[in-house]
Amino acid sequence: MKKLLSTLIALIMMLSVASFAYAEDVTINYWFWADNDAYAETMQEMIADFNATNGQGITVVGEQVPWDGGGYSNTVFTAAMGGGGPDVASWKLTATPSFVANDLLEPLDAFLQDWDGYSEIESSLWDVMREVGDGEHVYVMPWNTQVLYVYYRPSMFADAGLSVPTTYQEFLDACAALTKDGVYGFGMRGARGGQEPWGSFIYARGGTFADLTTPEAVQGMQDFIDLFQKGYTPPTAPSDGFSQIIDNFKSGLTAMTVHHIGSSAGMVETFGDDVAAFVFPAGEGQWTSMGDTENVMFASSANKEAAFQWLAYLATGKGQETWCKVTGNVPVSSSVKALDEFQSNPFMKVSIEGAPYAGILPVLDTTTEWISSIWPSTVQQALLGEITAQECMDILQAELYQ
Amino acid sequence: MQSIVKHSKYSLKRILVLYLPLAIVLLFLLFPYYWTLVTSLKPNHELYSTQVVYWPVAPTLNAYVQLFGQFNFLKPMWNSFVVAMITTALSLTVSMLAAYSFSRFRYRGRKLLMVLFLTNNMFPTVLLLIPLFTIMRQMNILYTPASLVLSYTTFTIPFSVWLLNGYLNDLPMSLEEAAMVDGANRVQAFMRIIFPVLIPCLLATGVYIFMQSWNEYTFAVLFTNDRNRTVPVALKSLIGQFGVQWELLTAGGIITVIPVCFMFFFAQKKLVAGLTSGAVKG
Amino acid sequence: MEIIQKRMRKANIWPYLLVLPALLVVIAVVFVPILNAISMSLQQYDLRRPKQIAFIGLQNYLQLFSDKQFIASLYRTVLWVVFGVGFQFVFGFALALLLNQGFRGRGLVRSVSLIPWVTPGVLIALMWRWLLDGNYGVINDLLQRIGWIESNIAFLANRTTALPSVILTIVWQGIPFFALMLLAGLQGISHDLYEAADIDGAHSLQKLRFITIPSLKNTIFVTTMLRVIWVANSVDVIFNMTEGGPAYATQTLSVYIYLKANTLNMGYASAMAIVLTILLLAFSIPYLRSMFRDQGV
Repeated sequence: MKKLLSTLIALIMMLSVASFAYAEDVTINYWFWADNDAYAETMQEMIADFNATNGQGITVVGEQVPWDGGGYSNTVFTAAMGGGGPDVASWKLTATPSFVANDLLEPLDAFLQDWDGYSEIESSLWDVMREVGDGEHVYVMPWNTQVLYVYYRPSMFADAGLSVPTTYQEFLDACAALTKDGVYGFGMRGARGGQEPWGSFIYARGGTFADLTTPEAVQGMQDFIDLFQKGYTPPTAPSDGFSQIIDNFKSGLTAMTVHHIGSSAGMVETFGDDVAAFVFPAGEGQWTSMGDTENVMFASSANKEAAFQWLAYLATGKGQETWCKVTGNVPVSSSVKALDEFQSNPFMKVSIEGAPYAGILPVLDTTTEWISSIWPSTVQQALLGEITAQECMDILQAELYQ
Repeated sequence: MQSIVKHSKYSLKRILVLYLPLAIVLLFLLFPYYWTLVTSLKPNHELYSTQVVYWPVAPTLNAYVQLFGQFNFLKPMWNSFVVAMITTALSLTVSMLAAYSFSRFRYRGRKLLMVLFLTNNMFPTVLLLIPLFTIMRQMNILYTPASLVLSYTTFTIPFSVWLLNGYLNDLPMSLEEAAMVDGANRVQAFMRIIFPVLIPCLLATGVYIFMQSWNEYTFAVLFTNDRNRTVPVALKSLIGQFGVQWELLTAGGIITVIPVCFMFFFAQKKLVAGLTSGAVKG
Repeated sequence: MEIIQKRMRKANIWPYLLVLPALLVVIAVVFVPILNAISMSLQQYDLRRPKQIAFIGLQNYLQLFSDKQFIASLYRTVLWVVFGVGFQFVFGFALALLLNQGFRGRGLVRSVSLIPWVTPGVLIALMWRWLLDGNYGVINDLLQRIGWIESNIAFLANRTTALPSVILTIVWQGIPFFALMLLAGLQGISHDLYEAADIDGAHSLQKLRFITIPSLKNTIFVTTMLRVIWVANSVDVIFNMTEGGPAYATQTLSVYIYLKANTLNMGYASAMAIVLTILLLAFSIPYLRSMFRDQGV
């Protein structure tokens, strides 16, 4: 009798678990880009891990979408406007305003209220997330950040008898001193994306993004132009994008370039010990660009609770740890940040050192166009001597704040 | 003696008017491909160098192993191939009918229709994407190869119609007339007389359609998912935000070209020189 | 002869039925999107500010006239098309004539000539970018070896060389198109014509001028016209090589439209797209006229 009863209870339990799982079985479509095929594979492994361990019958299906030089955001936008698109997608902050304006994103505030991971992420980061939306709601879930710093070749510094620059002026001097024997002091990015390292020059002279036309900001622009026109950067600088500045640095053509930890693994593979990093040094002011990657949930998602589980897994769960370990990005979760691996990595150390000065461009609805076409073509004109630093900054100001 | 002189003169002429120009054009066309090959064979530490190297010091096939292993490149190739073949068959058939109508009949609205087809391809596609996506979704073919077949067919028909129309107009009408005078009806005249002569042109137009579908990125990235990604999308995913996987990308480029050239090698035998003598009566 | 002429005039339902499938596909898929674009061009239609979308009549079009970038892009489009398609045609035609001759290994040569066309667009731009690189590009290296230049030229970072560089790339990519299309056309020319010319003692250039070109007339017209439309609309080579830079030097109208559309100013981009379409149509009219006239409408 007892045996029968226990069998019966076990049976009922199994059935109820099964039916419970059945009722909750949901699929979440997730779009992401990967910077190489190894990262793409890591993402699929993370998805498999989440699917196996979430215990709520949530199945995430991951679709890799090419980054396509930023075309990723357009692909997602077209799909979402066309009534399709995923439940969750990986994200760049700059894309947020146009998606929010078209009511495509789901505000996360209601989910964040009862989420214990909320306090794991710094409140200043939440402020940024609020700011890029409509100032009230959080639409974007932090995932990881990258702080830009200066990569340099210790051997080249030693040959030139230089030590690591500690001031902006020393940095400019180093650009000149390192330029010799077919090597250029600074790998400048004059094509799209170059606004990130460029911002450091503006702030170092005491300028800000709030008003690009101040004499300080214009002086920063002038420094940028001078580096190119005096030949301290490769002559290709106006057309150099991320791929070229990295390739130029890896081939030994440049002694310094500005990028973030995302490329450190490749640098170490090429140079071993002969590559290191320092924070872009302070002049009148100090600023460096914070690269960012986040995740968002779409308003059209039919399974928002489940979608949030996946967002949380990436932000503070196992996904946070795995992804940051493999890609070398700076975690947003304080408990993951505290792990030994992150504390001992020298490039991570520089990233964390630079974090207090790290910021982003004002994210307005004009920002995407400003980044993708206004900044490169206007700055290229200035580099090629067709317009002055002042004229350049006037245009940049007018187009950003139109 | 005289014959030797004549012979060598003939050879010299042949070198000057055939082999030399051919070699120059081929050099121009193939050098970038050679460079792609060299890049794909370079081991990682040779990829970045300020010295231009014309052949890698230690060539390696690693990129190809990785391409077919981990990266599973055969899958996007197969997807591309299926889409391109179906599109070619469909678009070519439909275009052939329309081109024949335009070339061999005169009727009200003909010119308007021809111009309509032409205008279709004048408009930049980037502005059509959102509504196209909606249409594909409503037809329930989003994320299936059918959505690509449909869009590629649509965007290759106009040019194919025009190309075939051009070829048909260059074929002397007397060919069919002779047959029709001999009592054949229009369909018979077409099948017996026009079709055989048109094969090279159908082949060329088919290649055009095939290439358009084989190389297209914008629709492919929007209308497919991981199950049916095509070659351009797969290759583009090797260009990340922070770096290009040069060796895989170039290896992919080399591999992509081979089956298409191989297919064309057999198909081009249909490009036999000229009409057989006497095919044109009168 | 008369029977045919009569049948041709007495057009029945057949010609329409033959066109119908093609027409249906085209209309089903692009009709709505194009109407949509036309309507966007008459609105303040900026998806970054969807709440401000409103009908503004022809204002987008009027704005074009005062847009310096529009005028400059239009000019670059003309250069891009004229030189791009021009060289493609010349080299493509030459290659077609060469490939039409009999020689050992012809099949192989014909196949490998297609390579530029088969190469995925993604790769073309990146490869040429690398070939033309101003620091360690192989073209700079070769030019230095043969002594044409003394130091590297930053082809893509320089205002004067950037546009020729992207044109070079599109020429490379387009030669096989013309070669194949014209080669196919050459197959339709009767041997008898050449034999007759041989008897008359005509030399090669005369045969080219009086037999080959006239016999290929329609094919040449159609292929160049289609190629002009295609090249005028092509974005990926320029965009992946220079993104329209440096300092707008390679920004053609289609690249400008692409940038505007991708930064979501759809109204303005649509207006430009419609102007581009109208200009291409205007360009085609002489072609169309002469073609329709030849066919004795």
